[in-house]
Amino acid sequence: MFKGMPKIFWIGMLIMYGWCFFFMYLEMTIPGFPLKKFLGVPACYIYNWLLGLWGMNIVVSFLYYYMEEKREAKQK
Amino acid sequence: MDEVNPIVIIGALMYFAVIFWIGWTSRKASLDASDFYVAGRKVGPFVNGSALAATYFSPASFLGLPAFIFIIGYPFWWALVGIIGGMPIATLLTAAPLRKYAPTSFTDYYADRYETKWLRLIAGIPTIIGGFAYVILSIVGTALFMLAILKVNFTVSVILAAVVVFAYIYYGGMVATTLSTAFQGVTMTVAAVIAAIYVIANYGGLNGLTDAVLANNANFFNLPYVNETASHVYVSMWSGVVGFFFTWHFGFSALPYTVVRFFTTQDIKAARRSVFWAVIVGGAMYAGLIIIGTGARVLIETMHPLMETEGITNAVKVLVHMKTEYGVAGATVTDYSMIAAMESLKSPFLLAIITAGGLAIAMATAAGWTMVLNVLLGRDIIGKVFGSKWPEEKPIQCTRMMTTVVLAICTLFSFSPPALVLDISGAAFIVILCSCGPPLIFGIWWGRATKAAAITNILVMTFLSCFSWMYAKTVIGKPHFFFLNKALDLDWVTPHQFYWVFVGLIFFVLLSLVTKPCSDETIQKYSLDLRPEQ
Repeated sequence: MFKGMPKIFWIGMLIMYGWCFFFMYLEMTIPGFPLKKFLGVPACYIYNWLLGLWGMNIVVSFLYYYMEEKREAKQK
Repeated sequence: MDEVNPIVIIGALMYFAVIFWIGWTSRKASLDASDFYVAGRKVGPFVNGSALAATYFSPASFLGLPAFIFIIGYPFWWALVGIIGGMPIATLLTAAPLRKYAPTSFTDYYADRYETKWLRLIAGIPTIIGGFAYVILSIVGTALFMLAILKVNFTVSVILAAVVVFAYIYYGGMVATTLSTAFQGVTMTVAAVIAAIYVIANYGGLNGLTDAVLANNANFFNLPYVNETASHVYVSMWSGVVGFFFTWHFGFSALPYTVVRFFTTQDIKAARRSVFWAVIVGGAMYAGLIIIGTGARVLIETMHPLMETEGITNAVKVLVHMKTEYGVAGATVTDYSMIAAMESLKSPFLLAIITAGGLAIAMATAAGWTMVLNVLLGRDIIGKVFGSKWPEEKPIQCTRMMTTVVLAICTLFSFSPPALVLDISGAAFIVILCSCGPPLIFGIWWGRATKAAAITNILVMTFLSCFSWMYAKTVIGKPHFFFLNKALDLDWVTPHQFYWVFVGLIFFVLLSLVTKPCSDETIQKYSLDLRPEQ
């Protein structure tokens, strides 16, 4: 099952799920966690809104196509 | 008719002018079946990425997600993170392998991989259920924007929305649909981002917005377990938060209306890159929607003109007033929350942008799903399953006829929409994902996936997911609780019965292990050969 799937796929999955569930866990164990100040604003705007929603997914989707193109170029 | 600012009307007219121009200029680009079905496989990464985002996101996103943040509070932000987080996964899981395979219709893969033409019909069942629901909600979404902002009568709005979508699919097929959808992707994103900037600027920054939201609703940022009162009963358990994260999460990888867009790209490289662009476009729009949803209640309660009306004391009453005034059956009060929040900012320019964005997102999805359904009903079912020569001999005529049928049926249902737009979307996602998702994913990535498992999984999971959703909605009152809560005296939150997606994956694997695999030749051609070359 999933034989031949590029390693970068699993690394990307680890980054995305790791990030989301780590912060969900913190939110459900530390009272008021989303509103704790980070970089001058409530932390949830940084780890959820800016990075979890957008930044991290841009990086992961970039890695997915870039690493595959690099691997294919190497093969040729 | 209420007064509408001329700037808002000009914004809407400009949007329609561009859409008609795209449809007109691309009408000669669909000369053969390949052009009509898959845009001649000539679409570049950015255009395809923007079209992917616009197709994937519907009025359920533009109207429904801010509405759910309005109702549920901060924990629902994770649903939006889950949706965008599910997009990159498609790059290597389905986009690249399916582009390598290069089919015409999404059911081609099921028929080829599982060696039976009947899987076109079987996979078509949940797709027709979900697809029709989506076209209806998209027409309703378009009409709600025209009704609430442009003050056009709802019946006229529904007809207008259906006619515009019909016109550019009828004449331009996938070429016109792709180009107009790419434009719509940019439009909806610009609209959401500008709206978010307006909201943030109105409160003097993110801190000001947060303070205003907390002053209005102290429970807004509450999570389960660490707060006495959760922000809403739907997120009073971890399963509510995680469940909303997963409800739409895998849709981008496995739902037919996005999967077919991977077939239209120039090559595998473009297919992979198009996901990257879809994440940029879609992620920016969702960032905007989070801010709009977060600020919606406080904006309405402190700034909406209707708050000055006697007897209206809170945001819900404003929305009830709007619902009563517009009188659209099925649409719930919260379907108007996004529009009401934007009205609160009292900027004609913003309303013009939001109207264009709302129309764009709704029409793009209606067009995307109609393209799936017309190929499914015409080429796949009438032609490939029942052996009619019509779709083969006159493919464009057949597809146009099916477009007419699909849009006529959906328009009739749209006059009296069945439910809240986001609830229709959640139900459609779960039905298709748990039934058709496992045979698609495992078909590519597991040689052991079998025909018997594919047929059984699609039929059983379609029934179970439809039944449990309707049971939870009718017996328990909401589709967001576990459907056996009453029978087993439980209190579990399981948004839209999301667990069926995982049950479907396990069920498919178990069935495959005890049934006969496909031939070696099929496994080689439609599974092993589609994976990246090592």
